Amino acid sequence: MNFDFALILSSIPQLLEGLSLTFQLWILSGILGLILAIMLMLMRISGRWYLAAPAMVYIYIFRGTPILVQLFIIYYGLPQVEFIRESIAWEILREPFGCGILALTLNTGAYVSEILRGGVQGVPKGLGEAAAALGLSKVQRFIYITTPLAVRLSLPAYSNDVISLMKSTALVSTITLLDMMGIARVIVSETYAPYEIFISLMIIYLLITWVTQKIFALLERRMSRHIIQ
Amino acid sequence: MDTLTGWWDDFFWGSVVVLQVFFVALVLMILFGLLGSAAKLSSSKILQSIANGYTIVFRGTPEILVLLLFYFGSAITLTAIAQYFDPSIKFIDIPPFWAGSMAIGLIVGSYATETFRGAFLGVDPGQIEAARALGISHFKTFLYIRIPAMWRLALPSFGNHMLSLIKDTALISVIGLQETMFVAEQATGTTGEPFVMYLMVGVIYLSFSTVITLAVMGFEKYGSRHLEVSR
Amino acid sequence: MNLPTTAPETVISLQGVDKYFGDFQALKNINLSVAKGERIVICGPSGSGKSTLIRCINRLEQHNAGKIIVNGAELTDKVKDIDAVRREVGMVFQNFNLFPHLSIVENLMLAPRLVRKTTREDARVQAMTLLERVRIPEQADKYPSQLSGGQQQRVAIARALCMNPAIMLFDEPTSALDPEMINEVLEVMTDLAKEGMTMICVTHEMGFARSVADTVVFMDAGEIVERNTPEEFFNQPEQPRTQQFLQQILSH
Repeated sequence: MNFDFALILSSIPQLLEGLSLTFQLWILSGILGLILAIMLMLMRISGRWYLAAPAMVYIYIFRGTPILVQLFIIYYGLPQVEFIRESIAWEILREPFGCGILALTLNTGAYVSEILRGGVQGVPKGLGEAAAALGLSKVQRFIYITTPLAVRLSLPAYSNDVISLMKSTALVSTITLLDMMGIARVIVSETYAPYEIFISLMIIYLLITWVTQKIFALLERRMSRHIIQ
Repeated sequence: MDTLTGWWDDFFWGSVVVLQVFFVALVLMILFGLLGSAAKLSSSKILQSIANGYTIVFRGTPEILVLLLFYFGSAITLTAIAQYFDPSIKFIDIPPFWAGSMAIGLIVGSYATETFRGAFLGVDPGQIEAARALGISHFKTFLYIRIPAMWRLALPSFGNHMLSLIKDTALISVIGLQETMFVAEQATGTTGEPFVMYLMVGVIYLSFSTVITLAVMGFEKYGSRHLEVSR
Repeated sequence: MNLPTTAPETVISLQGVDKYFGDFQALKNINLSVAKGERIVICGPSGSGKSTLIRCINRLEQHNAGKIIVNGAELTDKVKDIDAVRREVGMVFQNFNLFPHLSIVENLMLAPRLVRKTTREDARVQAMTLLERVRIPEQADKYPSQLSGGQQQRVAIARALCMNPAIMLFDEPTSALDPEMINEVLEVMTDLAKEGMTMICVTHEMGFARSVADTVVFMDAGEIVERNTPEEFFNQPEQPRTQQFLQQILSH
């Protein structure tokens, strides 16, 4: 058993061919998940039980089950359901890419909504009262006071979830997609050199994580320079 | 429900496997978390760097990649060693149960490292000073003041780590562990009903998560019973 | 005593106001009327309901029974009315509550721009005028975290004044301040009183009450125990509970 450096060099370009798919999954489901998260968070803090309760149940289910199970229900399970095959959603669900995006979006949305809720609740109550005392309406208070402060407060936890989402994209290799992880698994099954291939891939993922953390750290510093914690 | 007939036993034994992995990985997670945080808080630069490397690598790469590297890496190493002694051997692997428990114990242990470290540093130094000022020994201060205070601080994150552990067990089906996901796959092959089967897996995991969440809530309430604000 | 009428000069009138927090009754049958230009100081032990009382006046707390009329409008659940009342009533908080993500001048400009639709330029000119009035125009472009507590509280007063309120409420404005900063805030409040502002002030600063207030109200256990002129209040308090309270705080 030798560590084959030539294999590392030759496999890295191959692995990077999957980078684009990894990024597509990551960014697309990240954006869609954020939109879903904002909606869920607004439902939860609405103070109306018929909005808050469904959001809570949703969050509970999607945080309480493994994302791999969610992915398999969507990819293997949903096509079995008649009315889904006949609806326009089928256009998305017939492709593994669509299933991957859907599963990642639904999953990250549940986590991020709780992060955002934490941020909103972290805004000192007195600031909202001060704005109310000045005559700002409820909507104005939310937009001009709560939102900017909540964004700053949730940023550290949000950056962790963005990285978590990036790592979760690797799971789509289990539903036949050839992202970086999928390609690595193919190469390993051909060459039977798990160390070389998987460690190369690890380094690529670590680089992505590192750059992401740096970007968020910069963002955090810029945004919270006036807020003493 | 009819489709599940005949599969209940399999799902039950699959769930038992999930629990077994969970408890083995939990022990490993606590072990690695404590070792990691001790190394990070130590004055040795070497230990610090090792611990930093550990958390960076295991928090920064996909869980499935760590798992596959562990399983196939250990298999290829073991096989090579075995063939050195007996060339007729074709393939030896670490059982998926142990490779999987080890991998997720290490992964979640890297998160626990930060939790324990934060909890250790988060204990109000005034409490420690107060205890020392009363003449309580270093060791007793550690045991009766620092540990309980740390535990309270670490508990919420610790609960999340346990949830991560239980959910990560689903991944181990990828290397062939016969837990609930594996059962669902087999059942699907026979019945052609993936929707029901994977939903069943979801229900099982949701029950486990619920039990863990409730247990942690109970502990948290118990741990902070004297912190309730009186009116 | 307080007649439940809204005479033209009465700007605030509370009639039989009750307030509960769960089972706890924070305000018990409060009757109080405030005339235009009147300066009222409310004092009393902690938990006596003083803060709750003034927070009810701009509906940061909702009363459970009785009537509150501010500037001729009764406070009800109607959102529009509440926002209209709040524009006329300025409030200063114990913890300043400046918006940490906005600079000082932006703190002052926010409400006029959003609520009164003042232009950016006009709002800035007005903000600078008010910052000069509270004697800190040079801090305009700093952020709240860069200011001392006394400076922050003066900014908070200026921020409330930006809406040209007819009435100012002060909720223990000096309680969170270091002793050496209390005077700079009280001076600004005294200036405001001299200009004829209607003020209701919850405070423990008895010197301020003596020199500035027209009326001192003493509260205990959710009730108004005594309402008197400062001279009478401090020299010949009517109620034994008032005497006891004064003994306690003046013996310090």
